[in-house]
Amino acid sequence: MSVATAVAEQVLNGLVVGMVYVLLAAGLSIIFGVMDVINFAHGELFALGAYFAFAIAGPLGGAGFWVALVVAPLLVGVIGMAIERLTVKRLYGRDPLYHILLTFGLVLIINDLITSVWGKSAQPFPIPAALDQPIALFGFTYSMYNYAIIVIGSVLALGTWLLLSRTQFGMIIRAGSEDREMVRNLGINIDRYYTLTFGFGAALAGVAGIVLGAFQNVSPTMGNAVIIPAFVIVVLGGLGSFRGAVAGGLFVGLVQTLARTYTPFLEGLIVFLLMIVVLVVKPTGLFGTSIGAGEHHDGALLHGAGGGVLSSETRAKLGYAAVGVLVLVPFLAELTGVTYSVTLLEDILIWALFALSLDLVLGYAGLVSLGHTLFYGVGAYASVLTLIHISPSVFVALVVAVIVCAAIAWFVGYLSIRVSGVFFAMITLGFAELFYNAVFKFDFTGGSDGLFGVDVFYGLAGLGIDPSEFEIPLGLFVFDGGIVQYYFLLAVVVGSYLLARRLIRAPFGSVLQAIRESEDRASFIGYDVTAYKRRAFVVSGGLAGLAGGLFAANNGYVAPSFLHWINSGEVIVMTVLGGMGTLYGPMIGAGVFVAAEDILSSYIDQWQLVIGVLFVLFVIFVPRGLVSLPQTVADHPTFGSVVRDQTKVTETEVEQHD
Amino acid sequence: MTEPILQTTNLTKEFGKLVAVDDVNLEVERGEFRSLIGPNGAGKTTTFNLLTGALRPTNGTVTFNGEDVTGLPPHERVRKGLGRSFQITNIFSGLTVRENVRLSAQAAQHEGFRPTEEFLKRANTFEEVNAHTQRVLDRSGLSGRGEEVADNLAYGDKRRLEIAIVLATDPDMVLLDEPTAGMSAEETRATMDLIDEVLSDRTLLLIEHDIDLVMRVSDHITVLHRGAILAEGTPDEVSEDPEVRRAYFGGVEA
Repeated sequence: MSVATAVAEQVLNGLVVGMVYVLLAAGLSIIFGVMDVINFAHGELFALGAYFAFAIAGPLGGAGFWVALVVAPLLVGVIGMAIERLTVKRLYGRDPLYHILLTFGLVLIINDLITSVWGKSAQPFPIPAALDQPIALFGFTYSMYNYAIIVIGSVLALGTWLLLSRTQFGMIIRAGSEDREMVRNLGINIDRYYTLTFGFGAALAGVAGIVLGAFQNVSPTMGNAVIIPAFVIVVLGGLGSFRGAVAGGLFVGLVQTLARTYTPFLEGLIVFLLMIVVLVVKPTGLFGTSIGAGEHHDGALLHGAGGGVLSSETRAKLGYAAVGVLVLVPFLAELTGVTYSVTLLEDILIWALFALSLDLVLGYAGLVSLGHTLFYGVGAYASVLTLIHISPSVFVALVVAVIVCAAIAWFVGYLSIRVSGVFFAMITLGFAELFYNAVFKFDFTGGSDGLFGVDVFYGLAGLGIDPSEFEIPLGLFVFDGGIVQYYFLLAVVVGSYLLARRLIRAPFGSVLQAIRESEDRASFIGYDVTAYKRRAFVVSGGLAGLAGGLFAANNGYVAPSFLHWINSGEVIVMTVLGGMGTLYGPMIGAGVFVAAEDILSSYIDQWQLVIGVLFVLFVIFVPRGLVSLPQTVADHPTFGSVVRDQTKVTETEVEQHD
Repeated sequence: MTEPILQTTNLTKEFGKLVAVDDVNLEVERGEFRSLIGPNGAGKTTTFNLLTGALRPTNGTVTFNGEDVTGLPPHERVRKGLGRSFQITNIFSGLTVRENVRLSAQAAQHEGFRPTEEFLKRANTFEEVNAHTQRVLDRSGLSGRGEEVADNLAYGDKRRLEIAIVLATDPDMVLLDEPTAGMSAEETRATMDLIDEVLSDRTLLLIEHDIDLVMRVSDHITVLHRGAILAEGTPDEVSEDPEVRRAYFGGVEA
């Protein structure tokens, strides 16, 4: 094979993958452009398309593929419309963050449904026989099915373009993305169009799933694998720009495929590097004209409203009580033999610290960091590397972790905080994915295995405690290294909370609260809003790094999964679940989430489904989080009177004056 | 003649082919009440945004207190003494009235805080900030309502708080963006009285389209038309200017 034909083949392969991306990104971009919804479940709708086709084509055989190619996307479209009607619709008018949360819950639900119906392993999905052969065109042979993908993709993209630009449906959709109120005032029932748009985007994702499923195979992880690149494409091309989605999709498909063949080292990195560069140079993306409809939203970011019922003294007492219980747990565990509870609590404490760090930027500065696990993961790697190469002291390792993460946060914040909102979210996600892919590539990070077998020392310069040798018997109870570890962790987490609270009550934090209330106003009384957000991000990055460092030091290992975007999603879930903007709320949220996950996963196979459903219900009905429950109950017409009689509800919580 | 507090030189803003503000040379004297009027699309709002720093001009400069502030972002202009109020009441609605004003008072002084103070000391324990906050609350008639959450205030008191927040930044000059938009005649009078009561010792630049109001309160009026200055003078001079009558009064009032 000559060089020219080899290149031509790679280019064609790139176009095949690119077409799949075009179909995915087009739907994602239209849904965002029209409704401001960042649909994380798009990847799962894509997988659903593939599985429906798999289920339809299998028994039919022969022409089954073609039937499936029509029927499966329609089914996915109907599911998309149902999702919009039942869930997404209830959140219009709220900050786009809530859509991210909602669709994250939907990811868990759909993914669990897929694995429970079709199993966890990948399955082959045969290409129709008529297309399963090579064909010679322009002097070289290439798979006919791949040509078919390119043709199907082009036809659908062209059709979508015609639909958007030449039909009344398209005109209303485009008008709606410019100015939704105006369209409503013209007497058009835009809600109906939203449902159709969501269904249409879902159907496109379904088609993409089918053609890729037959190209490779169908597997429950296929949605997870494409959703992040699809976001990158939408952002690269310009949010809400159809032209951008097409150009970006083909471009990313080509770049990925060519990089895999010719510069394997850059595979997995180059796309994120490109996205970061494009966003830094041209924040509107390649084809974006405005900052996107997402920037004009006036949806309220809801905050936790803790304390409405509980006075601050009550809360303080509850806090002391909680810490007291946490101090006693190791003794109780030893006495009752349930030592496993200590391990669970350690997990909870670490996630609580991670959620606390996110709350500083999400709840106070209004910055949606979609890639917060970047700091958690880098903190873990930094501390393990320090423990291996520099010093066995946990103290040194954690200090290094905090400094490294704060520095990275400063750099990322420097590049991205001037562009706001959705772009900040995407840049943080881009950086997290960049690091996630990078740790696989290097020897010093241990590649896909990570680094493990680390010994830790709780001290400095030889003075301190080696947990593997430490043991003081105290009657029934043995005070060993594991318990030292636990108390150290508890002290760091409680200390971090107190520090964060102090920051929030100081002038620095008061300005963050002002920014949260009204960014414009904060700027026009003389605060450099961007500088404050950057500082908050640095503190937050440092604390997240501390959380990651603690986990790595405690468990003696680090792996690439620490940097996986699922962690970023989960920590956002915990923060909102507990009640953002309260500091303690997200920590409670982390406790409930980790404990629920632990308990559910040991009793039910479909625990993800249960968590997903609970989460969707929570986002819709209790957006202010767990800490708002007492107030919600008190406001309830029937339950409320009971509570109201017993407690004063007039006190309104303002961090500053409690 | 003393140096003007605010001066624009050849101020121009183009959006593509549209010239929204066209070579505007504006001089506002210290202590005066100036109004900037003009029909819709005359370039009032764009001019306002160029003065606050929300927009950067295509050409020309803005000089405030003898200093070129053209390249400064909004928050730095505020710190130099160029305050602004918002058309729509824009307060920190989830915080108390006192905290709203305190944040504004703190903005003027926080540059002087040591890092330990900025990050660790309780925000409500800075004596100078607290004293300034109290003075502003007293002056703006809100001293009795300091502990109320801003969102719970009646509409009129929210306007009062809006003005108090501006006052707390201790501005030499305040830019007022249609402060009475959407108000009834009575509310309009109350708001103008409030501005007069609280901000009378500051230089004021009012952006407004309500001619009667402008005629009543202004020392001088600048009339914008299609992005350029059409006329300038006392209310009497402006109302008798034939150009103005044709372009503005002719279009709107007749």
